Amino acid sequence: MSSPDPHSANSPQQASDARLQQKPARHGLVGLTLAGLVVSMLGLSYAAVPLYKMFCQVTGYAGTTQRAKAAPLKASKELITVRFDANVSRDLDWQFKPAQRSITLKIGEEKLAFYEATNTSDKPITGTATFNVTPAIAGSYFNKIACFCFTEQTLEPGETVQMPVSFFIDPDILTDSDSKDVKEITLSYTFFVVKNQKTTQIKKSNANGSL
Amino acid sequence: MSTQAHAADHHDHDHKPGFVKRWLFSTNHKDIGTLYLIFAMVGGTIGGFLSMGIRAELAEPGMQIFSNPHMFNVFSTAHGLIMIFFMIMPSLFGGFGNWFVPLMIGAPDMAFPRLNNVSFWLMPPALTLLIISLFVEGPSGMNGAGVGWTVYPPHSTSGHPGPAVDFAILALHLAGASSILSSINFITTIFNMRTPGMTLHKMPLFVWSMLVTAFLLLLAMPVLAGAITMLLTDRNFGTTFFDPAGGGDPVLFQHLFWFFGHPEVYVIILPGFGIVSQVISTFSKKPVFGYLPMAYAMVAIGAVGFVVWAHHMYTAGLSLDTQAYFLAATMVIAVPTGIKIFSWIATMWGGSVRFPTPMLFAIGFIVLFTLGGVTGVVLANPGIDRAFHDTVYVVAHFHYTMSIGALFTLFSGWYYWFPKMTGYMYNETLGKIHFWMLFIGVNVTFFPQHFSGMAGMARRQADYPDALAGWNMISTIGAWISIAAMAVFFFAMALAFVRKQKAGDNPWGVGATTLEWTVSSPPAFHAFEKLPKVK
Ligand code: HEM
Ligand SMILES: [Cu+2]
Repeated sequence: MSSPDPHSANSPQQASDARLQQKPARHGLVGLTLAGLVVSMLGLSYAAVPLYKMFCQVTGYAGTTQRAKAAPLKASKELITVRFDANVSRDLDWQFKPAQRSITLKIGEEKLAFYEATNTSDKPITGTATFNVTPAIAGSYFNKIACFCFTEQTLEPGETVQMPVSFFIDPDILTDSDSKDVKEITLSYTFFVVKNQKTTQIKKSNANGSL
Repeated sequence: MSTQAHAADHHDHDHKPGFVKRWLFSTNHKDIGTLYLIFAMVGGTIGGFLSMGIRAELAEPGMQIFSNPHMFNVFSTAHGLIMIFFMIMPSLFGGFGNWFVPLMIGAPDMAFPRLNNVSFWLMPPALTLLIISLFVEGPSGMNGAGVGWTVYPPHSTSGHPGPAVDFAILALHLAGASSILSSINFITTIFNMRTPGMTLHKMPLFVWSMLVTAFLLLLAMPVLAGAITMLLTDRNFGTTFFDPAGGGDPVLFQHLFWFFGHPEVYVIILPGFGIVSQVISTFSKKPVFGYLPMAYAMVAIGAVGFVVWAHHMYTAGLSLDTQAYFLAATMVIAVPTGIKIFSWIATMWGGSVRFPTPMLFAIGFIVLFTLGGVTGVVLANPGIDRAFHDTVYVVAHFHYTMSIGALFTLFSGWYYWFPKMTGYMYNETLGKIHFWMLFIGVNVTFFPQHFSGMAGMARRQADYPDALAGWNMISTIGAWISIAAMAVFFFAMALAFVRKQKAGDNPWGVGATTLEWTVSSPPAFHAFEKLPKVK
């Protein structure tokens, strides 16, 4: 793009080499510091993966439910309805449905619900379920004591199993101004095929959860 | 820098190496800048061709030129990625940055000239990989990656089993590495190589804009690199970062992507802010109104830009409080943005204003950008965004700001510095015709998209209801006007090289006060062998 060089050829190398050499040490220092910044941002992006999971579990973000050892001793008189929803990933040859459409219970009271899964294929398959509740705000008040979703489930060809989940709604839901008007919560599960079936295969005896 | 004086000793030093050494192994900032500009023209031509494919498909309801909707998405994906990574960034950041940052701060070259060469030569392979992705299998039985420039899983994982997405990801890796290396180079140059007297608070605003942009790239690009590497391993090596079957979450990808993505939109426009500041000051014969606020407004935009990302995710199930936070933070960005617009207007106010082509493009940019800023503030409201998200209203918003907005700053800078870079003057009448045709063309294309978007026209869909045919016909006419404008541009440039009308060192007169106007046009192969003094 530049016009032809008006000057005569003398020693082109010298000028540009001088330029390359005149690199004070502080160039290297600034450059390395900036490179360090790049590496730490890259590290942070990976650190975001566990941090994000922790964040969702602690805050009930996006309807992530909580885990608890036991229900509170005193239940409230208020009633709430829990509806049950079931989905199966396209790649998984299972039928999966809730055994009951909904349960109405006292807030704070522990209840047991069942899902039913059938392996419709001709080989054993291990699946794992993800879950959440809507409205999302209810996530931090929805406590599971035991759930088939805590472990992977293996079904033999044609086998049908009942899968239990025991849960309660934390009475604190009534004191949070964002959630006190919630009268109905939908608990939803989606079953996926576990990748690398061989390595993660678990004993069938585990399949009924730890109830 | 004592060696400087020594290099200036033998005064016949302006020599250029032979062709291969000069262009393939170039370490000269101006030559590398030229390479970037040529590369961006190639990218822009391919990207423009793809956009005509999009408009041809949307010209009427029903399917026109594509046999299936996937191909339409392949075109818009490639159009977006190419325009962002292979047109706007190489021209504004790589091209003008390399040309004028050293000249404006009185440095003999960049801090790491060889690294600079590597940065450029990562780009052609990156573009090649992206183009290859168009011709290899994406979804089973179909070619290309139809995933959008945002590459969201699961469509980019289980939705595209073929290698097309892998090629696109690797293209982004290379382009990202190139940007990171250039950023390190620019920051080191700006921190260490300013001529005596050129304090940070005296630097031209274009240099400030490049400094902030380089920091944005440095902090944001690695996060994109991380996210797409996870995507790559999810696709090929059985990891499950974004796959619920293994305990991952696809929404995490959206967080990572937009943590990069929002700063990225400012990476694209900030150099343009710098250019417009120089141009407006030059043609108003006044220093920029409120120089320091202008510089720090860019710093503020850059900083706040890192904490607003989820305004792209209002429909992804954020809690109410989170939405309220991102609403507020997003609105805050409009403040420093507003400061800049007012300062540009105040610079013109009371100045002796002339309107050659670069100034027209700068003012055109202000008009377009203000409009885009207003629709941005509308979209910042989660309640409204629930309805507008993924409609062409958003397409109109971001084209007014970052696409045609950035394009107008690019042309403003191009006409402004063309005499400096080539030594030739362009034809002013043709430049003005180019401006007016393009200004009309882009507005006719994108303004109706506000209306069709509000009426429910979805983006990323090849077909639409008959009721929207009218608006779409207008958009298509606008696209043809814009293409004609580009023909005028290429003709004007060819004519300038044929006529070879000498421009002189400073064709713009007393308003052009920055250092690049003190050297010859085109500048010597090694300008500033002797460091200039700044008072
Ligand atoms: C006043 C300042 C701005 C505000 C308040 C704002 C707000 C927003 C919001 C809320 C969205 C999300 C819309 C949706 O997807 O539903 C959005 C999208 C977008 N904005 Fe802005 N914006 C502003 C300025 C800018 C600027 C300056 C640029 C670029 C230079 C830009 C580029 C984009 C892009 C590229 C998208 C769409 C990304 C995609 O979905 O593909 N915006 N903006
Ligand atoms: Cu944004």
